Amino acid sequence: MSGYLSSLLAMLSINVVIAYAVFMPASAGLLNLGVAGFVLLGAYTAGGLSSLYELPLAPALLAGALMSGLVAFIISFAILRTRGIYMVLATFAFAEVVAGVMLNIPALGGAAGLSVMAYAGLPVVVPCAVGTVIFVAWLMRTRFGLSVRALHDDESVAHLFGVHLRMTQVVAFTVGGAIGGLGGGLLVHQFNFIDVQSTGVLFSIYVLLYVLMGGTQTVWGPLFGALFFTLVPEALRKASELDPSLKFLEGGRYMVFGIAVVLLMMFRPQGVITRTMLEQWLPRRGARRQA
Amino acid sequence: MQLLQQIVNGLMLGGILAFVAVAFTLTIGMLNFLNFTIPALFMIAGMVTWALSSAGPHWLGLGWHWVPAAAVGIGAAVLASLLIERFTYRYMKTRFGDATEHALPLVSSLGFLIIFEHLAVSLWSSDPQRFELPFKITTLEIGGLMFGIPHLISLTLAIVLVAILKAVLERTRLGRALRGIAENPNASSLMGIEVQRIVPLVFVIAGALSAFAGILYAVSYGTVTPFMGDAIATDAIAGMVLGGLGNIWGAIAGGLLVGLVKVLAISTFGAEIEKIPVWGLLLLILIVKPTGLFGQTQLGKGKF
Amino acid sequence: MTQVLTLDGVSKSFGGLKVIDGVSFEVPTGSRTALIGPNGAGKSTLFNLISGVYPIDQGRIHALGKDITLMSVPQRVRHGIARSFQNIRLMPHLSTLENVMLGEHHRSHPLQLMGSARATASARRALEDAGLDTFPGQVVADLPYGVQKRIEVVRALMAEPRILLLDEPAAGLNRTETKDLGRLLEGISAKGITLVVVEHDMPFVRHLCNHVVVLNFGCKIFEGTPDDVSRDPAVLEAYLGSAQAMEDSHVA
Repeated sequence: MSGYLSSLLAMLSINVVIAYAVFMPASAGLLNLGVAGFVLLGAYTAGGLSSLYELPLAPALLAGALMSGLVAFIISFAILRTRGIYMVLATFAFAEVVAGVMLNIPALGGAAGLSVMAYAGLPVVVPCAVGTVIFVAWLMRTRFGLSVRALHDDESVAHLFGVHLRMTQVVAFTVGGAIGGLGGGLLVHQFNFIDVQSTGVLFSIYVLLYVLMGGTQTVWGPLFGALFFTLVPEALRKASELDPSLKFLEGGRYMVFGIAVVLLMMFRPQGVITRTMLEQWLPRRGARRQA
Repeated sequence: MQLLQQIVNGLMLGGILAFVAVAFTLTIGMLNFLNFTIPALFMIAGMVTWALSSAGPHWLGLGWHWVPAAAVGIGAAVLASLLIERFTYRYMKTRFGDATEHALPLVSSLGFLIIFEHLAVSLWSSDPQRFELPFKITTLEIGGLMFGIPHLISLTLAIVLVAILKAVLERTRLGRALRGIAENPNASSLMGIEVQRIVPLVFVIAGALSAFAGILYAVSYGTVTPFMGDAIATDAIAGMVLGGLGNIWGAIAGGLLVGLVKVLAISTFGAEIEKIPVWGLLLLILIVKPTGLFGQTQLGKGKF
Repeated sequence: MTQVLTLDGVSKSFGGLKVIDGVSFEVPTGSRTALIGPNGAGKSTLFNLISGVYPIDQGRIHALGKDITLMSVPQRVRHGIARSFQNIRLMPHLSTLENVMLGEHHRSHPLQLMGSARATASARRALEDAGLDTFPGQVVADLPYGVQKRIEVVRALMAEPRILLLDEPAAGLNRTETKDLGRLLEGISAKGITLVVVEHDMPFVRHLCNHVVVLNFGCKIFEGTPDDVSRDPAVLEAYLGSAQAMEDSHVA
């Protein structure tokens, strides 16, 4: 596989993992505009451990995910006390606080960022992405997953039937945080570098947008979103390389993403992949005797 | 003396932040809409003004005098703002009956932010561009303290504008109509208020505020980039929350406070620390007293 | 226990408006009780009080031998009271099966992962019994209104209630659907579950129910058999009174 394709695949895998970090709370009805916070936590924890303490990759990644999950768990109690727009702003503020803290740990490089030697190539990154998708898909099919999705649709009726609002949200938020931490660990070891500047507000915005674009009704939406976000701008860049008259495509390749988001919000706000769509495409075993 | 200068510096930065904070808080208070395109409007005004006023190979490099350039810059930002009104806010209302029930307008505004920022990148590249004014003196010295003139103008304008806005909102028919729309858009239109014609006014004002701030920023810091709005808007949002969502005097106070905290933190502890006090304070406020330090106005539905 | 549900002097105000005023009645065990009254009489509010959505201001409610006045909503479901809603409140993006499965979530720990297979099987059975097994996988938002209404009843059944509160279950249904619903409810009643039904469809009520409570302006004005209801002067006045006013306005 060429170097270009393999780095593209690596980027895609990491984007997929981070997508599910946003999907988890979103499936419980919580919009997270601060996933960068969890990504930074995971990246600096994993990167710090592997470069300063020479921890092997696997435990470092695990530590990143656990650290991120732990912080998510602790902060969830505070954040879940807020509602609606205040919650969006709170997740946003959280990410900024994390960024601020990371900037002030000199051992981790401060504003210049952290460089790490250990490398996570495709054999690490791809299985992590695949594993994440499988895990989340399984989780959403359990009783707990049903509680989460019920909460998303109608909080008070879900509560009536015994779904515990706060507990379910805390777990969804925590799992999302842990996955984000894993994504961060993968990110820092794939690019051998992490800094606060490049993983900030815009980063969180992009991820939230491509997850919502894919759709949060089913487990496959974020996968689609990550695919679109990773591949379409690249395809446009390649096209402009091959055909010089299409040069404008290169500068504007993320514009296409923005336009797609706006159009989707206007015409199909549930996202591209919806449950109804899935039902229609997949053959169902069992009682579908009606046309 | 050093401390006093830092306080002045903080208030100067706060002056620009206040402007943007008012734009945010106005849109949220009137329309229950967190408009994430405001940083882009800020940037559009700044970049268009720069582009027009400097002669060069770049797009719109016509080398105009900075005054008409600024006017066009503001016009461009206001036009962009109206675009958002049409395709984000109004569209959501007509399609879903209630723009405020969903996070859709927020997400759509994020989409527009991406569009505008990358449009700027494709037109002018993502490199920072130097913005130079024909006159050099941009600071004023009073009693041994340095005051930035653009910042002073920004602060003064912000105060004057907010005073005017408040007067309009509280004493005129238009103001009453606006407050009625903020409470209940459907009931308002049922009473004959032309919601469709008044709401764009809010977007025009917010766009103009952001545009002014963008130009003042460009003048005082001398640089423009397609992403110049991001950092400012982030801090302005902090100012908005501190001041209470929808509270336009609060937004000024909040913007000033954020500017102050930032500059004092940087001068005391160094540049890296600044995020923590601002955002830590903000997170605390959101959890403990989300109505802000000065209390918020009645929001439409308390949701998105 | 001859009375499975007893309301005793229940009152509720919203702001300054007294919506339910000293209502007392008893629901016989295993009965099919109708709660009727003109629009605005407070029937849905009463249901919300019984199921615990609103706290009551005065009075007490006893169900299944216990005082449930202070119980939370999920506690009441666990205790044996389940309900359906006037405007359907199914989870629009979940499938039929998943919606029905939700009905018995109160029986397990909130974070429990396992048990889906067992729950799926019993949900399938419940749907089959109700004759609704043709759409297990379909997203409920795509299903016809009448089907959704019956799915909501099945969901409430999954909670294994002893008292089933149904808020206008026949509203918006055509004649065939209403007949199907009637059969479903008769089957449920035959299993010993007490039904309390808010309804406007009088023939449906007369066909199904053996006990009637009439509300008007938040007060109980009658309690008895369906036959006696149509003869009671207070009831006639409550209904006809408004019908008369309607007629008057038409003439004018």
